[in-house]
Amino acid sequence: MALFSQSCQYGLQALLWKSRVFWPASRCRQLFAASFGIPKRDKVSYFSFMTSSSTALPVDPQGTDACPAKKRSEIDYEEEKGWDEDTQEIHEGKLRFSSSGGALKKQLMNHTVSRHKFATVQPPERPLCAEEWSRLRESFQSPELFEEVMFNSMIRYNSPIDVAKSLLTHVAKSNGDIGYNLLVKYLALCVQQGKTSEICDMYDILKIRFKTLESGAYNLLIRGLSNSDQWRMALTLLEEVKRVTVPSRSNYESCIKAAGRHQEMTLACELYHEMLAKDLVPTLDVLQALFDHSRGMKNSALQKELFGILLYLRENQVYPHKTLMRSIKLWFESIPGENWKGHLTNIKDSGQCPVCSHQLEDSELTEEEYNNLRERIIRDVIHGTDTFRKTSPQEFEAFQTFVENRLPFDIVIDGLNISHIMPRKVQCENLFEAVNCLAKDYARLLVLGRKHMLTNSSNWKREVMKEMQNKADFFFAENISEDDAFLLYATLRSGKHCKFVTRDFLRDHKACLSDSVTRHLFRKWQRGHQIVFSSSAGGKHIKFLPACSYDCVVQTTGDTWHIPYKDTFEEKYSYEIPRKWLCLQQKYRTT
Amino acid sequence: MRAANMLLKKIVRCSAFSFSIQHGMKRDLFPLSRTLILSPCLKEDNSRSSSEKVDLDAWKKVMKSGLQDVSETVSEPKEISALAAARETLELWRLVGRAVPEKISEEQLKAFIECPSKSAQKKYLKFLHLKELYKKSNKRKMDEKRERRLETQEGASETEEPKKNPFVCLWSSSMDKAYNWRVAQSMIFGQPLVFDMSYEKYMSVREVANTVRQIVLSEGCNRRSVDPFHIHFCNFKDDSLYHKEFIKYYRGAWDKLLITVTDQCYTNIFPKDKLVYLTADSPKVMKTFDHNKIYIVGSIVDKSIKTGVSLAQAKRLGLETAALPLEKYLLWNSGAKNLTLDQMMHILLTLKDTGDWKKALEFVPKRKYCGFVNKPMHELKKTLNLINMLKLGKRPEELQKRFANNYPKRLTQK
Repeated sequence: MALFSQSCQYGLQALLWKSRVFWPASRCRQLFAASFGIPKRDKVSYFSFMTSSSTALPVDPQGTDACPAKKRSEIDYEEEKGWDEDTQEIHEGKLRFSSSGGALKKQLMNHTVSRHKFATVQPPERPLCAEEWSRLRESFQSPELFEEVMFNSMIRYNSPIDVAKSLLTHVAKSNGDIGYNLLVKYLALCVQQGKTSEICDMYDILKIRFKTLESGAYNLLIRGLSNSDQWRMALTLLEEVKRVTVPSRSNYESCIKAAGRHQEMTLACELYHEMLAKDLVPTLDVLQALFDHSRGMKNSALQKELFGILLYLRENQVYPHKTLMRSIKLWFESIPGENWKGHLTNIKDSGQCPVCSHQLEDSELTEEEYNNLRERIIRDVIHGTDTFRKTSPQEFEAFQTFVENRLPFDIVIDGLNISHIMPRKVQCENLFEAVNCLAKDYARLLVLGRKHMLTNSSNWKREVMKEMQNKADFFFAENISEDDAFLLYATLRSGKHCKFVTRDFLRDHKACLSDSVTRHLFRKWQRGHQIVFSSSAGGKHIKFLPACSYDCVVQTTGDTWHIPYKDTFEEKYSYEIPRKWLCLQQKYRTT
Repeated sequence: MRAANMLLKKIVRCSAFSFSIQHGMKRDLFPLSRTLILSPCLKEDNSRSSSEKVDLDAWKKVMKSGLQDVSETVSEPKEISALAAARETLELWRLVGRAVPEKISEEQLKAFIECPSKSAQKKYLKFLHLKELYKKSNKRKMDEKRERRLETQEGASETEEPKKNPFVCLWSSSMDKAYNWRVAQSMIFGQPLVFDMSYEKYMSVREVANTVRQIVLSEGCNRRSVDPFHIHFCNFKDDSLYHKEFIKYYRGAWDKLLITVTDQCYTNIFPKDKLVYLTADSPKVMKTFDHNKIYIVGSIVDKSIKTGVSLAQAKRLGLETAALPLEKYLLWNSGAKNLTLDQMMHILLTLKDTGDWKKALEFVPKRKYCGFVNKPMHELKKTLNLINMLKLGKRPEELQKRFANNYPKRLTQK
């Protein structure tokens, strides 16, 4: 279904694109989608890459709207998935439900398809008079949907608002009233085109007509007003939203940006703190706005605020994207009298910054954090709601005594995971090679496996297993137990120097941890202690990548800052860490 | 007051109309190149010069005009309660076209406000909305049926003729008696089947409701079967959520049900070596249905996938476990391997009567599998691979090679 609607819109769009120039349709829809609270992924920005030598960058943060044609498809696709898309217009009168649930769903789906068919009506280019509208309406497949469909396509094709106005006039004259949905759609069109006076008018009308408004209209009003010189009205609207519900983060984003644009930095910071207090995660755009608008200001309180933001990035292990990084850099360099210099660089495996030769923080946890993490792993991951789900109390006890008697290990290996490294080879040979390879570097090895490895089979030869057991300690769990939890426990119990080997990302175990603080600790510990098989080595020999020796977070020593950042062009997974860094240092004049 | 209001509206409309006529001539200034692609009727309209100019802001006057007096009445109740405010927001959402129910009760509204997050609220509203739609369409269908029945009755009453039937008509009450007789027999001689009711703490209220519904369905199909099980509800606590939900479904009949309900564990009632816990997570696969074993089914619906909950229960008690041989008999397509309780009941009943896996596994939902396995496994895998390759569009040479490997030479050479 999605495919169908997609392609049919596509054809039309392509046609329109050829015939005349108009505002990028994807952009309008993006705005529309956003205004109705449809979540949108991090905004993608399209900047050309600047080399590290350039200091002053000719960047205009407002000029990011030029979308390359290639990207448009992705954006379009995202917007098809709004939560209320599929059930948005259910008119019971038109539907004939059959008895079973599946059939009803199918009906709804069919309806959506037909709605998309309607959605390809082309809006007129100039205002029409009432007669013309009614004629158009008559010729439309289902006249009762006409206005709504027409407004949707007006928003899609960004028609001039005069056309929309003429339709509203027609509706008002024939019905004596205009429905709320049409008013909101008209409002969306006004916001899309930045018609401030119209937005104010709409606000008055809506205010008189309805006691309260719903979130969609508020979103549109706040967005529309915050971009105009009436931006203070957006703040009062925000207050109004607060009375009913928690404002969305995009509401705050618009207000903070507006305040920043008018150099009301204290207000912007207040809003930012309010947002954090409500457990909303600020968008990177908000942070960028704060940095952009306080450029060149000498204000120690504000400076403290912005350092606070950088520490927020550190604590939550957020990596800024390139545009935000650039804003941070420019802000630092613009602080009067402090003489900051920023450089873009890549940090080597040793963890030394090539620009200022500063050694980055290592990824060790503190004693307290370490103990905390260990206890939480035992409590949440191994025991969880029911110890029997992953192991059994007897088995866990046996494992604990086993580990205590042989402490400490230097490396703990997930035997079954490693035995699948090369699918062509026999499993026990894979493991054998890995153990041999690791035994060179580490003295005390622990291999975790399951009992079925002990029965002589084509994959697990008894002789090889015997030989391995001379080189490393082995623990065999029950066949239905989970060995990953044991892996974590044994590594954490052995101490900070101990590493572990598995290709597993351990995401399911991380998800068992109940609060985000511990999850961050876990990620940090994982980055520093997990050794991964290197796939690039290929060939016959097994090679391992060392764990990251430095901690990949925003960090400072007072007169230097090191900030890792993401390149916007390459997709980053959550487990990948950025290799690119911004190095900022304060240069004191020697003369 | 209202009449005056209407009058005012009309006046405004008229004035707007005349205003638009006065400015009609401006219309010709529109450049001719911007003709419409819309429909032929408009084009011909365009050529007529006598059409009037549209007043674009007339609608605003209409919108504002009827409101002077409305705004006075609105301003009176300044402080509205949270419930009323929520009700109004819902109404507006409905107008915008979101999935929101038309009518909402006080309790539902409270539940809506207490939802922990915005997405939870949306989901709850959508649930209510769909429920309302189902209810409406059912009601409509009932009405239609009644009408049809009335029509046929009218037609039949004219040509009424007493019918003679040699058989006594079997009404449902007598059918019930026959069924109950069978179930009562099974309670003495039948094979026990245990529903383990110890999972309440793992489920949300809605999941418990779903579980109970599934159990009610399975009890129904057990009662109607030729050779019913003797159903046990074990670990059943009085006044638990389960209990409340059961009362909702059965009402007075709950105490007359021909099943055994106990708060004891099955390990206390039956010998341990005879018990088999059925769970999809079990490493062991069931080969045949054993008439001497007592099978246990966990009464749990887990929408947020909690793997290993029932396996953990079996492990704790040291019971034998088994999973249905779904992989062995079905070409699994998609979906989880855990089945609903009524599907389980159908499968077990069929197995008990016939021992035929193919017949029993007919009750697995069709969307979950592609077909039955009737060729040796490795051949099927080959064809599946081939299909996947065609789907993915691998390189043709590779495909040909695969094809040549799979099929004997004489076939390809022809």
